[in-house]
Amino acid sequence: MEQILEQLPIVIPALNAGFLQTLKLFVVTLLGAVPLGLVIAFGSMSRFRPLSYFTKIVVWIVRGTPLMIQLLIIFYFPGLVWGHQLWGGGEAGRFLASAVAFIFNYACYFSEIYRGGIRSVPVGQEEAGLVLGMTRSQIFFKVTLLQMIKRIVPPMSNEIITLVKDTSLARIIALQEIIWAGQAFLKGSQGISGQIWPLFFTAVYYLLFSGILTVLLGRLEEKLDYFR
Amino acid sequence: MKKRILGVLLCMSLTAAMLAGCGSKKEESQGEAPAAGNEAAEDEQGGDDAQAEQASSESDMEYVKGKGTLVVGITDFEPMDYKDADGNWIGFDADMAKAFAKSLGVEAEFVEIDWDNKVMELDGKTIDCVWNGMTLTPEVTSAMECSKAYCNNAQVVIVPADQADQYQDKESLGDLSFAVEAGSAGEAEVQALGADFTPVKAQSDALLEVKSGTSDAAVIDSLMAAAMVGEGTGYADLTYTVQLNSEEYGVGFRKGSDLAAALNDFFAASYEDGTMVQCAETYGVQAALIEQ
Amino acid sequence: MAILEVEGLGKTFGSTEVLKDISFSLEKGEAVSIIGSSGSGKTTFLRCLNFLERPDKGIIRVAGETLFDAADPATVKEAVIRRKRLHFGLVFQSFNLFPQYTALGNVMLAKELLAKEQKDYKARRQEIHREIEEEAKELLAQMGLSDRMGNYPHQLSGGQCQRVAIARALALKPDILCFDEPTSALDPELTGEVLRVIRELADQNMTMIIVTHEMAFARDVASQVIFMDEGVIVEQGTPEQVFEHSREERTRQFLSRFTQG
Repeated sequence: MEQILEQLPIVIPALNAGFLQTLKLFVVTLLGAVPLGLVIAFGSMSRFRPLSYFTKIVVWIVRGTPLMIQLLIIFYFPGLVWGHQLWGGGEAGRFLASAVAFIFNYACYFSEIYRGGIRSVPVGQEEAGLVLGMTRSQIFFKVTLLQMIKRIVPPMSNEIITLVKDTSLARIIALQEIIWAGQAFLKGSQGISGQIWPLFFTAVYYLLFSGILTVLLGRLEEKLDYFR
Repeated sequence: MKKRILGVLLCMSLTAAMLAGCGSKKEESQGEAPAAGNEAAEDEQGGDDAQAEQASSESDMEYVKGKGTLVVGITDFEPMDYKDADGNWIGFDADMAKAFAKSLGVEAEFVEIDWDNKVMELDGKTIDCVWNGMTLTPEVTSAMECSKAYCNNAQVVIVPADQADQYQDKESLGDLSFAVEAGSAGEAEVQALGADFTPVKAQSDALLEVKSGTSDAAVIDSLMAAAMVGEGTGYADLTYTVQLNSEEYGVGFRKGSDLAAALNDFFAASYEDGTMVQCAETYGVQAALIEQ
Repeated sequence: MAILEVEGLGKTFGSTEVLKDISFSLEKGEAVSIIGSSGSGKTTFLRCLNFLERPDKGIIRVAGETLFDAADPATVKEAVIRRKRLHFGLVFQSFNLFPQYTALGNVMLAKELLAKEQKDYKARRQEIHREIEEEAKELLAQMGLSDRMGNYPHQLSGGQCQRVAIARALALKPDILCFDEPTSALDPELTGEVLRVIRELADQNMTMIIVTHEMAFARDVASQVIFMDEGVIVEQGTPEQVFEHSREERTRQFLSRFTQG
């Protein structure tokens, strides 16, 4: 215990730095995947058949393969096959590649949730809008969207909490997120080695963060409770 | 209607992206064909036919000089590569890498990598060399262009300090259950012993196995053992006993790279003028240093 | 001149011919009831008038203007159809109110979106908004819902919802208001309030087409009654003609089920 207290001033800043990467990846992924998912959802619902088939195949591939493989492919493939790597050097390059992989992967999952949400809004809503002379985009943004959002908040909350933890996969391409930071003290870093407690301690960060998210998403759900 | 427009846009942009991808690939392979021939001819000290396979038209040295950085793939590995209190990378390997980069007129940039992916990192050009106390095994030398050996190492057996006197020779080890890093030189040694073992992800995990009692013993690098095990370390209650083999450290470059030869020259020069020995003394590895 | 003329309207779903050669006309200020058993094509007919279904055959004319001609591709494009829909209003069996808007919001929404297309919208924004709100409030008051304007649909009874839906349709001032079985989804004790509102509209000479199963109401509110069966208009005439002196056997059979039951 005493030893842990001694190591705390070294370990905590390192974990904080790792958590900042985790948080950055989380935020960037959400900002990218939430709108991209909608575009993909429209693609797979398109009445233009080739597009909807193409989109569905892409979604199948992305959802059907492990994110870890996608990370490896996205990061290493350009350099291995085209002979010049896309991502730039250092940690920034690794972060960029991780963000692209995460955004694309999560957008595909989100698109399926959106699709279910849009489909679950009764067709009568669209018909009512049409009869009132609204355009399809007006109907989507003024009528369907909010009803869809209300329906998808619970499954989206699930995915978002999963995303918090999935960010740790990025360490496969050596993005130094919080688990990497915790593991460093096991391998030996800054004079501390063979310590597993920092790794275990990362769980506290995840718990706190997902706790905050759960509360926020719960509030959103409550807020949307004003209509049925 | 809107949906369809969005759809068409999406389709077009994806197709465009794919075409762009194919296009750039094609351009490159066209540009590469004549250049690859030149390169094989002019780069004979580089070694072998692998040169022709290299995707880029310039030599690796030109490539690194062109971008102005030598990206060094490392792991946090005391005393070879580790961070000082200010977060700067130091260590015997790190300091030598900085000096080598300077001799080329470029900056050394250190990137922590997943050790399992080191060959992929090199070939994918996300790093330019692996300089991290890497044991020169047949697997390593066949996948990378390696420098000459610069440091001696050995695989040593780690046991709890209070049982050390029972395990002082190879014969006493047969009944122990070992933890070793998967794919490491240590794993090969334990297999040769015929002992029971569990492969784990890293040498440090093997130490943890012994400390927590889930394995009886571990096999790790002697240089690492010297720095991480015993009095005043995180593993104060562990110690190392039998030396199972001896081996050597080298620096790995992309297959066919002309940087390996350049590093050999650099090592020879800095051994000559004493700077390499001086650097080794700073990190307490002078005893293991190999004459260049 | 007739406000609405329908000529030879036909609609097929797969291999089922749901509407066969429907022709009929309606004078301004007139209310027509359409009766018939389920599956007779009444609802499809209303949906065709509102362009929710695209007829395969026939012509629809409003006040002499050809809105739709199955033979003329220029009239069947979606972008063209949107504006033409505004000649008609439709009240659905299941209300289809927008749940995230209040009663007032439901009535105002479409009108406000249309107003944005006006050239002077930006300059007169607040004024326009106030006008639309005043009109909407007036309509809801007319429906007897002055005290319910701020309520969301789930806080209203079925009868109240349907009255909001009627106000919503009226807000766009359609030439012809269509009702698709407006009381079928309601508890029996709630039908009265909706029928009363429709009757008031008839008294104000609103041009209406009412598909209904309420025979007494159909007879009472309309100046013209149409009996449909298997996609064709079997009989058409004044309420008295159709109900008292049916010429067709099928009509008599259909009506007898109601008088006996």
